[in-house]
Amino acid sequence: MSEESRRRAGEAWAFRTRVEREAARRFARLAVAIEEFDADSSVPALLRRAAEDERRHAALCADLSAVYGHPVAASAEDAAIAPGSLGPRAAVLYEVVASCCITETESVATLTTLLAEQVEPRVERVLREIAKDEVLHGRIGWAHLAREASISDVSFLSPWIPAMLAGTAGEGLFTAADADLESRELLRHGVLPHSLKRSIFVGTLEGVVFPGLEKFGISPRPARQWARGARPRSPDLARLTSEE
Amino acid sequence: MLFRKLFQVLVVGGAVLGATSGCSTPAGSRQTARAKGEGGGDGTASDAGLAWTGQDSDGGVAPDAGGGVLGW
Repeated sequence: MSEESRRRAGEAWAFRTRVEREAARRFARLAVAIEEFDADSSVPALLRRAAEDERRHAALCADLSAVYGHPVAASAEDAAIAPGSLGPRAAVLYEVVASCCITETESVATLTTLLAEQVEPRVERVLREIAKDEVLHGRIGWAHLAREASISDVSFLSPWIPAMLAGTAGEGLFTAADADLESRELLRHGVLPHSLKRSIFVGTLEGVVFPGLEKFGISPRPARQWARGARPRSPDLARLTSEE
Repeated sequence: MLFRKLFQVLVVGGAVLGATSGCSTPAGSRQTARAKGEGGGDGTASDAGLAWTGQDSDGGVAPDAGGGVLGW
């Protein structure tokens, strides 16, 4: 393994450690919030279980991060992400859609892709353990969205989906990456090369997230417009925006 | 193929999960005032957001235009 790949793998697992820690805190907070307005829902209990899962995942990711020479500090934020103009219940729905319907769904696609590759045994064990839980975490979001859509119009979320996607994709996903980030060697260590990561992100939007949102009455049109505005254009983006 | 399977497992599976624990509790009167079929925005973010705006919103939300959640 090259020193550069080792560094990239360490950074990726350290980043995932923070992501998992933040998810644990967010899920615990959302469980309390949902209980206040939907007492019959199974979602709060599932979110509490998911929070426990994420804490365990964070420890697994931190272990791998250390193996690759990149120990991570014990910190995590829990920043609310919903627009201030939304009421409390709508803000919870916003956050559940952003964190579960989009981010956890994307995570499942990433994990599934990685597990189809030849991966180092130690990394594969971690990926498998996390993957079995992430499926439930994604389902939790779709479950909550389905419940809210059954009693009210949730189409108000449509114009907010671009903000969610921008936050999930981060700044660099649609830009060209350094050659070392495109190395296939990274796959063995549980990291997607940059262009494959972008392709999986877009494919998951097309094949899972957008149809899922439409199923519950949320138009993906603003999200496609957002994708059209992302620069520089990539073949993946052209595929996305041609769906309209 | 991967994405079709994920749609079934996550979206359809999630919808079933959501339906198996009793009916969802309707929102309070302030929120249901603009519930299904009773109004809507012009598709802009600010107006659409008002559809579920509570005047007594007491925080727990970001003051900006909204964000997303970083993942793997």
